[in-house]
Amino acid sequence: MTAAPPMALLAELTYRCPLRCGYCSNPTDWRGYARELDAQNWRRVVREAAHLGVLHLHLSGGEPLLRDDLEDIAREGRDAGLYVNVITSGFGATRARIEGLAEAGVDHVQVSLQDVDGERGDRVAGVRAHDHKLAVARMVRDAGMELSINVVLHRGNLARTGEVIALAASLGAQRLELANTQYHGSALVNRAALMPARAQLDEALAVARAAQRDLAGRMDVIYVVPDWFADAPRPCMDGWGRRFMTVIPDGTALPCPGAHGLPGFAFDNVQARSLDDIWHRGADFERFRGTAWMPEPCASCDRREVDYGGCRCQAFALTGDAAATDPACAKSPYHTLIRDEREGPRDEPAVLHRIDTSRGRR
Amino acid sequence: MVPSLARRARVRWDAARDCHVLLYPEGVLVLTPEAAEVIERVDGVRTLEAIVDALADEHPEAPREVIDRDVRELIERLAARGFVRSEAP
Ligand SMILES: C[S@@+](CC[C@H](N)C(=O)[O-])C[C@H]1O[C@@H](n2cnc3c(N)ncnc32)[C@H](O)[C@@H]1O
Ligand code: SF4
Ligand code: SF4
Repeated sequence: MTAAPPMALLAELTYRCPLRCGYCSNPTDWRGYARELDAQNWRRVVREAAHLGVLHLHLSGGEPLLRDDLEDIAREGRDAGLYVNVITSGFGATRARIEGLAEAGVDHVQVSLQDVDGERGDRVAGVRAHDHKLAVARMVRDAGMELSINVVLHRGNLARTGEVIALAASLGAQRLELANTQYHGSALVNRAALMPARAQLDEALAVARAAQRDLAGRMDVIYVVPDWFADAPRPCMDGWGRRFMTVIPDGTALPCPGAHGLPGFAFDNVQARSLDDIWHRGADFERFRGTAWMPEPCASCDRREVDYGGCRCQAFALTGDAAATDPACAKSPYHTLIRDEREGPRDEPAVLHRIDTSRGRR
Repeated sequence: MVPSLARRARVRWDAARDCHVLLYPEGVLVLTPEAAEVIERVDGVRTLEAIVDALADEHPEAPREVIDRDVRELIERLAARGFVRSEAP
């Protein structure tokens, strides 16, 4: 049976980034595969993606603005009929740059903020960036592009969920992602400092639900439920090899942006195989596609086509077996790992360890 | 009333899936052939009545009231999600 084509391509153009967010989900050993595809290769990848059936192109990283060919790659996507999204910290953007993105055909820019004020936000980002980011968000609107704001929620900022919503609305965002931290990359390292108390989450959820009602039609408020507290896994990537394809800076094609950390995989590179070939015939895309690969308790569970057994990377990180049921699920034999951590004591004060992403090579 | 497509939405033919789609930030709406026929005529120039007239001409088999109701319903649904704006002429 041939797989349905992917809906979206996440193109991580670089792992380099001027910020050092303590919650960053990107791999902590990024230097090992930091060699970046050139513009010509990226443009070919974008064309191949459109041909394969991709509809959304997400240009992200690291910080995509560090690539001075971002506009060329975006334009290639737009010319191929793709809806072009840029996912950025906003750091370092000038008005000319933002206008250049609009002119290149970028439809939508998602700017991430760390908090509602400079003092707190900059502490999480590791550099002074907050006020500049707000200015960049406004430039996105001025340039006529769609604006989303993304804020990663954790113990240190959940109490200000209401203020986050008000800030996003005041910036003219049409969409706000309240993204509870997923524990990958630096966030996994820093989880003791990031993990909230359940009462904080309950309160934030109530605030978000109220805003969803009040702002309906003006700003979409998306609240990403934290899987560690839900006793149920996220449908990670909407299922392995089902709707999303990721290409990381060195050209490796992945079913999800964290998957290169999995052992025993030899993920294909877009320089050696076409996107079509990798999607339809790549052994690693086949590996966890559908439900046939599932062990118990997933194999006989009636939610197996709802959550697809959860996140493979989280399963590996916590159990050592990428094919195991995601420990976020209450039915997983490893679920106690998560329960113990979320109910355990918290570091006070919270200490964030930082991965330096600012230096790298092309 | 003159409906027009909001800037956040883009409609195109999707050859891989053999249907029209409406693209918006982080999302895709798959359009039925009937919905696509309506949206193709939403151009910020034609009034809602003109759209219904055109469709009624092309589909003499369907009663005009039914077309009128379907078009209004669709435009309303799309407007509620911010994909279509309507302005008084
Ligand atoms: C990895 S970043 C790359 C783009 C850009 N540097 C930025 O931060 O916006 C992509 C998105 O993931 C979000 N993100 C980062 N770490 C996360 C985590 N641990 N859990 C959930 N979302 C996270 C960021 O806020 C951003 O919206
Ligand atoms: S450190 Fe922050 S800004 Fe940089 S890639 Fe990670 S989440 Fe984005
Ligand atoms: S057992 Fe597997 S399929 Fe069932 S809810 Fe848990 S992770 Fe999902």
